[in-house]
Amino acid sequence: MKKVELNVNGIPHQVIAGSDLTLLDFLRDTLHLTGAKQSCDKKGQCGACTVIVDGKAVRSCLARVAKLDGAEVVTVEGLGTPANPHLVQHAFVLSGAIQCGFCTPGMIMAAKALLDRNPDPTVEEIKHALRRNLCRCTGYAKIIDAVKLAGRFLRGETTPDEIRPDPDGPKTGVSHPRPSAMLKACGVAQFTADIVIPGALELAGVRSPHAHALIRSIDTSAAEQMPGVVGVLTAKDVKGTNRLKYIVADRPILCEDKVRYIGDPVAAVAALTRDQAIAAAGAVKVDYELLPVLDTPEKAIAEGAVQVHADRPNACFVQPLLKGDADRAFAESAVVVEARFVTQLNHQAPLEPEPCAAYLEGDGDDAQLVVIGRSINIHKHLQMLQEGTGWENMRYEEAYSGGQFGIKLDITSEGMAAVAALHFRRPVRYIPSLVEAMQMTSKRHPFYMDVKLGADAQGRLTAYRNHFLADSGAYFSNSDVTTQRALHMLSGSYHIPNIDAHDTVVYTNNPWTSAARGAGPPQVNFALESAMDMLARKLGIDPLEFRVLNLLSPGQSKATGHVVEEWPVLGLCEAIRPHYERARREAETHGNEVLRRGVGLGTGSFGIGSAGDQATVAVELDPDDGVTIYGAVADPGEGNDSMLTQIAADMLELPLDRVRLVTRDTDHTAASGPAAASRLTYMAGGALVNAIEQVKSAMVEAGVTPAQAGTTTYEQMRQAGVKTRFVGVRKTGYAGPLDPKTGQGPSFESQVHAVQLAEVEVNTETGAVRVVKMTTAVDAGVVINPLNLVGQLEGGMDMGVGYSLREQYVPGQTKDWASFKFPTMGTAFDMEVVIRETPRKYGARGSVGVGEMTMVPTAPAVMNAIEDAVGVRITDLPATPEKIKTALVSGG
Amino acid sequence: MDATDVPRERYRTVAGREILFDSEGFLWQAEDWSEDVAEQLAAEAGMAGLSFTQWKVIRFLRDFYFENGRSPLNRKIVEGVGMSLLELERLFPDGIKYGARRLAGLPNPKKCM
Repeated sequence: MKKVELNVNGIPHQVIAGSDLTLLDFLRDTLHLTGAKQSCDKKGQCGACTVIVDGKAVRSCLARVAKLDGAEVVTVEGLGTPANPHLVQHAFVLSGAIQCGFCTPGMIMAAKALLDRNPDPTVEEIKHALRRNLCRCTGYAKIIDAVKLAGRFLRGETTPDEIRPDPDGPKTGVSHPRPSAMLKACGVAQFTADIVIPGALELAGVRSPHAHALIRSIDTSAAEQMPGVVGVLTAKDVKGTNRLKYIVADRPILCEDKVRYIGDPVAAVAALTRDQAIAAAGAVKVDYELLPVLDTPEKAIAEGAVQVHADRPNACFVQPLLKGDADRAFAESAVVVEARFVTQLNHQAPLEPEPCAAYLEGDGDDAQLVVIGRSINIHKHLQMLQEGTGWENMRYEEAYSGGQFGIKLDITSEGMAAVAALHFRRPVRYIPSLVEAMQMTSKRHPFYMDVKLGADAQGRLTAYRNHFLADSGAYFSNSDVTTQRALHMLSGSYHIPNIDAHDTVVYTNNPWTSAARGAGPPQVNFALESAMDMLARKLGIDPLEFRVLNLLSPGQSKATGHVVEEWPVLGLCEAIRPHYERARREAETHGNEVLRRGVGLGTGSFGIGSAGDQATVAVELDPDDGVTIYGAVADPGEGNDSMLTQIAADMLELPLDRVRLVTRDTDHTAASGPAAASRLTYMAGGALVNAIEQVKSAMVEAGVTPAQAGTTTYEQMRQAGVKTRFVGVRKTGYAGPLDPKTGQGPSFESQVHAVQLAEVEVNTETGAVRVVKMTTAVDAGVVINPLNLVGQLEGGMDMGVGYSLREQYVPGQTKDWASFKFPTMGTAFDMEVVIRETPRKYGARGSVGVGEMTMVPTAPAVMNAIEDAVGVRITDLPATPEKIKTALVSGG
Repeated sequence: MDATDVPRERYRTVAGREILFDSEGFLWQAEDWSEDVAEQLAAEAGMAGLSFTQWKVIRFLRDFYFENGRSPLNRKIVEGVGMSLLELERLFPDGIKYGARRLAGLPNPKKCM
């Protein structure tokens, strides 16, 4: 131990520190300064914990307090407060650099340290200074913008007031700062692990190291005797169904007799401290009887394969799609291409591990179990937890969440935390390590696609075949939804009159799969858009002209036979054309024998507002004539708080700060459905519009004139006896499932469209690919907040490039951000967004969502660019240097 | 084995109308409900009609749903209808969720689609 004196944010502290006490733990656990975040298991890989020590940016997870005698430490809390923020914090808010906000405090501190020594850094200097700080949401572009803007502020060239949009000006179509942004910039937005629960037990999971095994016995005796341990839970301690049923009741909270993938939960240890729980988890002895491991869908559907689930076949969901007569059309086609396309198992990779807290409010059988966590579908998840744990009186509260990207569509840590809180009748926190968070969560489905695409001699598409196996892993989650979404969007942006598709979902012993940004369409669009380029090449037609020739038109139908009313893609093709021609010219003049430039295109047409979807949002007039919006509209970073606030302020002519949001708990919100499927702007926004229209009708009924609106509204309505709360509903115009035999049926009510252009440089000696620039032309209808829109697109392109070139989750091997190959400032690339605004007939005041479409065209655009550069067609993702080099050696 | 092996929503004729139900037999949309629908669902569950008290519970559930945009927790039902949980369970043989709430036509929370 060593006595250390140091200043933190100007306040002196004396600490008797052991040699292993990190500055991060001291700040968070002792001083309760939770602005610095923990993501990477204190390996120094993410930078979310960055603070300034003696003027330098330091990853506090690597700094030992015992070595900081006399140090001056500044954390994000010491920089500024929401009421009095620092200029760097202003810059991050005003640049749109804050989405989920989990990386933000670390980014801001790294930026501050840079600007203190170099007030006018170049982009390369910014990238170097922030090279150790990871962000999953933004693609880094807006963060670089923020540092540049902060420099301008600090140099006195401009001020936040000059940059900030006029709050009294137009409310929509303007990049008003997100309501939550300054809280995140100042490190005071409470993520789950930041919530103080004195005396809470800490949990650690015992997880299977085997992909498939029977549980012969579990011996908890040694673990129970370890210091600080309060108890060990196994399946027998779960009072409910012990199933987390999203669609199929197959996933246990704690496994009973069998484990089905590496990471399946077997037991949970509760202890006084997290370290004690983790230590004791290692002492739980599980006797396994190993079973054959089915690590591919092909093995799982082979004759005689062992069943992953005794009561369900491994081929657990099948959906054919038959439109027209594909066999005949292929026979009559002038040109046909065929290939097998494979996409990888991938992690959605939100920076925040999957934390949860749970406690009982009240006493006895009347107590309400409160679960605080990372859900983006709180009412659905509440119901799942009620059934799984056998406790009905429950409330779910969504904390701030450090990224989503589909991973939070299903429940993970909440199940164990809820069971533990009920069992021990004490508050619990479950703050998993990153490796445990990676093990417990869903992944993106790998698709194995046998594809054939045909065209006539004039280049018009004739027929398409895509028979695919989708790897559901050990559990089903929403695999039917994911793969049916792939079928709904199978024909992409194009008119394909004859389609033969077949979707088979397969249980394996891989990690379970579920929603992941785009969820299905990115996989099949990779195949289709790759095949489009292969066909164009064979026909000798320019890839852009080939796409234009085959675009779907209003009145024509998509793969499911659903006739579309709007299809504004041609304008996007024309918008991308000058960029495409510029890129082609540059590709011809750049590069040499080793470094080759290539240009590739991909389109994306992403369904919005699925058949049968419904959202509900309530609006209540407040005594000060503001409004409060009640809806389970999660915002793990996309900007849904902006969407709700700006629409309401615009429609009611209210100041932005008089629109309040209650969106995060099940006791007070309307059930608005998940923050998934890019649906919230369209569905929850639509429900909000409906509620506000009712408000305005009621105002008329009460005799409130427009001039009085926002001043005496509430009182006048009360005096007129008119109600002040209104429930808005938005339903899509169609409902019902696809036909089980033909896959024909109602589809999405609207679409968001994009055309993406990839410019890459391929090293022919190493196979390494450098993305030079990505350009997206996008049409998401009327834009509510331009910075939020562009931020989604940039983040999605970055994620799409990671998916294309690097990222893969390998069970048992991918254990942290380094082995995952998380995108960094070093892999960041130039991006440009071209916006077109075609108001959508059924959109929320003409708007649709954009969060997922943004990565749908990326992988094929990059693959097409690689082929353009070096003549190599990569059909299995990711396109690693090894694959490209091997293909180059073998002649493509 | 085909796609129908996984629970999914489906249309069926109830009280003379084609109505969409979810995979657990709950109405997809609360607006599709009518008293006739409730009575037929009750008959299918083996109940011999719906009593005054059962209607009282059903009406409370629907009023709560349309006022709040969500289904009530059991404690809210207890407060709202002045009955104990035990009495409510006795009143609806399939329980509060699969009995009362389903007959009242309150949909399950929506999943991703």
